[in-house]
Amino acid sequence: MTNDGASPKLTYAQIDQTVLDTLRPATRPYWITIALLFLGVLLGAACWLYQIFSGIGVGGQNNPVAWGTYLINFVFWVGIAHSGTLISAILHLFRAGWRNPIARAAETMTVFAVCTAGLFPFIHLGRVWVVFYMLPYPTQRGLWPNFLSPLMFDVIAISTYLIVSSLFWYTGMLPDLATVRDRSEGLRKKIFTILSLGWTGEHEHWRHFSRTYLFFAALATPLVISVHSVVSWDFALGVVPGWHTTIFAPYFVAGAIHSGLAMVLTLMIPLRKIFHYEKIITLSVLENVAKTIIFTGLIVAFAYSTEYFMAWYSHNVVELETFRWRAVGDYSLQFWIMVTCNTVIPLLFFFKKIRTTIVWLFIISLIVNIGMWFERFVIIIGSVAHDFIPHAWGLYAPTAIEFGIMLGSFCLFFFLFVLFVKHLPSVSMTEIKETAHAGENHGG
Amino acid sequence: MAAKHHVIGLFTDENRAAEAAARLRESPWQLQKVFSPIPSHKLTDALKLKKSPVGYFTLCGGIIGFICGFALAIFTSTRWGMIVSGKPVVALIPFFIVGFECTILFAVIANVIGMLTLTGLPRYDNLRYYDPRCSGSHFGLLASCEADGLEKLTGFFQQQGAEVKVFD
Repeated sequence: MTNDGASPKLTYAQIDQTVLDTLRPATRPYWITIALLFLGVLLGAACWLYQIFSGIGVGGQNNPVAWGTYLINFVFWVGIAHSGTLISAILHLFRAGWRNPIARAAETMTVFAVCTAGLFPFIHLGRVWVVFYMLPYPTQRGLWPNFLSPLMFDVIAISTYLIVSSLFWYTGMLPDLATVRDRSEGLRKKIFTILSLGWTGEHEHWRHFSRTYLFFAALATPLVISVHSVVSWDFALGVVPGWHTTIFAPYFVAGAIHSGLAMVLTLMIPLRKIFHYEKIITLSVLENVAKTIIFTGLIVAFAYSTEYFMAWYSHNVVELETFRWRAVGDYSLQFWIMVTCNTVIPLLFFFKKIRTTIVWLFIISLIVNIGMWFERFVIIIGSVAHDFIPHAWGLYAPTAIEFGIMLGSFCLFFFLFVLFVKHLPSVSMTEIKETAHAGENHGG
Repeated sequence: MAAKHHVIGLFTDENRAAEAAARLRESPWQLQKVFSPIPSHKLTDALKLKKSPVGYFTLCGGIIGFICGFALAIFTSTRWGMIVSGKPVVALIPFFIVGFECTILFAVIANVIGMLTLTGLPRYDNLRYYDPRCSGSHFGLLASCEADGLEKLTGFFQQQGAEVKVFD
């Protein structure tokens, strides 16, 4: 059975073989990578352990900047998570065939990014063992969480997002798990038999599965928008200059998708090369991601300029001072890194030569990732470091412990992702077959 | 009573599989299952399958979730009845967010429960009359017949261009 479309011209058997080849026993470089990443995770865990025993003061967070890298990384990782849902759910609803080769890896990125993000509120708590106070359960004193607080919205939104994206990821993988089961032997066959739940691809399975997947996509779409809106309200509901603005929700959602798409490129380009996915994750797919990055970059640029317009138009001296200070104050370097990396450099994707050159795609994706991390730095640190009262102004710099935890979080994310790509199908065989069947060009 | 035979016809072409499925439905043999590596509209049409009712599960889950989320927020805030942040004790707008998130959460969980209920998964005994190639590139039609009809059924599949496999 061949594909009628222009590209890629693969038979169903070739699609299966390409993906199943990635699950062959790992080589030494793979295990060395895993070991190094695990060491990074251990370093982060050791830093956290040290903080638990010494107190939250070992981090650089103090008055007036009480939210430092822990919140920056929390927002950063939640943002990264968003593009997975954009690609798997929103583009599925729009029937964008080019999302099929990267949907599985993007969904996986979502799940692991939410897991990583979810650690930071725990880390920032200091006394992590009392985290259960956030749960609504009957206590002797009759105390309940305050559902008026955006932090409680966050608990519910992030937990929901983690559960929904995990279920979406696993349910979508069932047909592929069955394919692996049918081509395995021994222990692996037993494991995949259990994981695939007895899926056979019979008509009754597909009938209910297709509908379920559609509802998943339809429900995940408003969820993804709500989650980063809720994250933005952690700031916007506080009466702090630079935070207290109605643009924050769409601004955060656009920024999240911008950073997530960049991370998709960062992950897909090495994955494509190492696992010989060139015929499945075609250059056109990567080019389409780059085009979407131009779009989200322009939205982010519009949001940045709107913030300045609102500060100017309000005639509020505190707002004016906050935004003046952002551009020329103590954190102006971070501000200009943010502006350049997120809004100027992605415009290079307007040139076809750049967005179709793998090296440029990879470099620009890294630059956008860096820029988006600094965006969170500028928003979170900048506003509280320089708010209403001049004698309360102060500066913040992360300590070695915070850097250790940050490094640990990055290592954890990549550790989980690298484990995944070698043990589960990192490309959806079923969806690629569907694309091939429909004769679609992966370039869209 | 003579023993029943299960026969699977394996096709590499979707159109032929759909055609054979439509003919089998009108034949005296029992078409048990149709396997395919991808969801196939042609097979759905040939089998005249109705739309899955899984949406009712999802809808119920969503409604229950919305009520539970709102109820949780209202219940907890009325335990002490204190004015916080100048908002009423039962503040509908902030509580809507809790209700919304719970709507999605419960709807998705009900969606999965619906799918599992309707498909009968997890189930590990249904691999008996199954060919592993159906998860790769083949479309499989599983039919059953009485012992004396086996020859005719295999003949039918061969006539349709299928590779035949008899299970019993």
